[in-house]
Amino acid sequence: MRLHPVKQVLLHVAVVMSIAMLAFPIVLLLFNSLKTEIDIFASPMGIPTHITWENFRHVLTETPFLVNLRNSAVVAFATVALSVVVTAPAGYAVSRFKFRGRTLFSMWLLATQSFPGIIMVLGLFTVLKTYRLLNTLPGLVVMHTSFSMPFSIWLLKGYFDKIPIALEEAARIDGCTRLRSLVKIVVPLSVPGLLAVATFSLLLSWNEFFFALVIMRDNAHYTLPVFLSRFLGSGGVVQWGPLSAAALLVSIPVFVLFLLGQRYLVSGLTGGAIK
Amino acid sequence: MPFLLPALAVLCLVSLYPLIQGISRVFYAYRALTREDIFVGLENFVLLFQDPVFGRAFSNSVVWVVASVGMMFFFSYILATMLNSRYLRFRRAFRTMTLVPWALPGVVISLTWRYIFLANGPLNSVLASAGIANPPTWLTSPQLALWTCIIANTWLGIPFVTIMLLAGLQSIDHQVIEAAAIDGASYLQAQLRVILPSIKKVVLIVLTLETIWTFNSFDIVFVLTKGGPGSASMTLPLYAYQNAFMYYQAGYGAAIGIIILLVLLTAVILYIREVLQ
Repeated sequence: MRLHPVKQVLLHVAVVMSIAMLAFPIVLLLFNSLKTEIDIFASPMGIPTHITWENFRHVLTETPFLVNLRNSAVVAFATVALSVVVTAPAGYAVSRFKFRGRTLFSMWLLATQSFPGIIMVLGLFTVLKTYRLLNTLPGLVVMHTSFSMPFSIWLLKGYFDKIPIALEEAARIDGCTRLRSLVKIVVPLSVPGLLAVATFSLLLSWNEFFFALVIMRDNAHYTLPVFLSRFLGSGGVVQWGPLSAAALLVSIPVFVLFLLGQRYLVSGLTGGAIK
Repeated sequence: MPFLLPALAVLCLVSLYPLIQGISRVFYAYRALTREDIFVGLENFVLLFQDPVFGRAFSNSVVWVVASVGMMFFFSYILATMLNSRYLRFRRAFRTMTLVPWALPGVVISLTWRYIFLANGPLNSVLASAGIANPPTWLTSPQLALWTCIIANTWLGIPFVTIMLLAGLQSIDHQVIEAAAIDGASYLQAQLRVILPSIKKVVLIVLTLETIWTFNSFDIVFVLTKGGPGSASMTLPLYAYQNAFMYYQAGYGAAIGIIILLVLLTAVILYIREVLQ
């Protein structure tokens, strides 16, 4: 069967226009970051004619951007490390072992997705207060890890399910210990799954706003999403030029990471839903 | 279970214990005079049902979820169908581009939409040049503020829903669709009777997840309107946050949170029942 050429052209036009609609706010952001405050409102839709780097200079030298960038990076990498270390064995256990409460455990993971942020933040607030972790980066790492865990375990279970159990059995017959067969056989084969978990938890931590807003108190501890929200101030005039430049700088790392990790992530996201 | 222990320990510490702790806050109220939490039983729930702002936030949240998820599904289904077409070139590149907005920080997206909807912003400059004399003030109009947030939220949800639906569509055997065509099914009939039922599982998962995420969503309304003007665009999570962290009424915030939890658990239970059948 062949499609009529006109229809085929229309299909491509429709797809390109849809993606243009999705990209449009991001393009606006890019334009505004290079415009002066006057140009931003003189021609809101126009491409920048007098390109200025002043917005970026302002953000990098006159705001706590760099300190908050460091905070975001520390929290994100610690969240990734902790998530992988904790969820990999759990995902393996849920995939391989039949234990009492396995169904309950899986249902609990699903149910955690529906817990309202406000209940969790009130509860975690008390926990963090007890351990003196309010307004600290480790406190936020604990919170972010707890959000990434349920989905990460679910995602890894899917990857482990695909590794034939016969491979491990063969290794053990050849004299490998359980741990050795795990390290030599299972871990190398599940690298795409581990990369998917790493990408997912890094995006989650870097982008997370609500909990960071609640537990951080000062410029020395804010992360980048909170930094951005503070441009709105309390009723004052919003400086859209520097705000756009900052928003762009915050987005670039996740954009790059997404392009690198999306192959693993897409199959991880959709894999469990299809089977 | 040495493999499960670290995860179980962390999950108990950061999900089970805080859940119980958070729920238990509902029985207490902060008294400014003595600066302490006192046990008040179910008083927070009684107050909740007399509070007109809570009523407004609840009905807003229902509109917010139904309209956002409905529109997300409608547009994503069309986009996914186009991306799945055998006649489309550069399919992988288009798929990647579709998912990009999903990876960007919610705050960045929300701030950009706030700019787009400004009274003197890009949208109104387009409307003005199209000859519309008095374009609306999207963010500060009592009638439009909630819908302004819904448009931004729909845009935010489309990438994820599209990719999930696309994965479902890709798993359908082409012969099934061709058989339907040979049997004389019209395009719409084939969509409703053959294709949608074949991807029922994916549809249920994305609808459940998006319902949960949208109901819990905080960033967009917080950045776009802060629930205003008045409480015209107030949603439950934002109202809970304001009570707990701006008015120091953690117990009252917890009561709103428990209402959210009950609604969402119903959604999850309906989903599990549907999947287990």
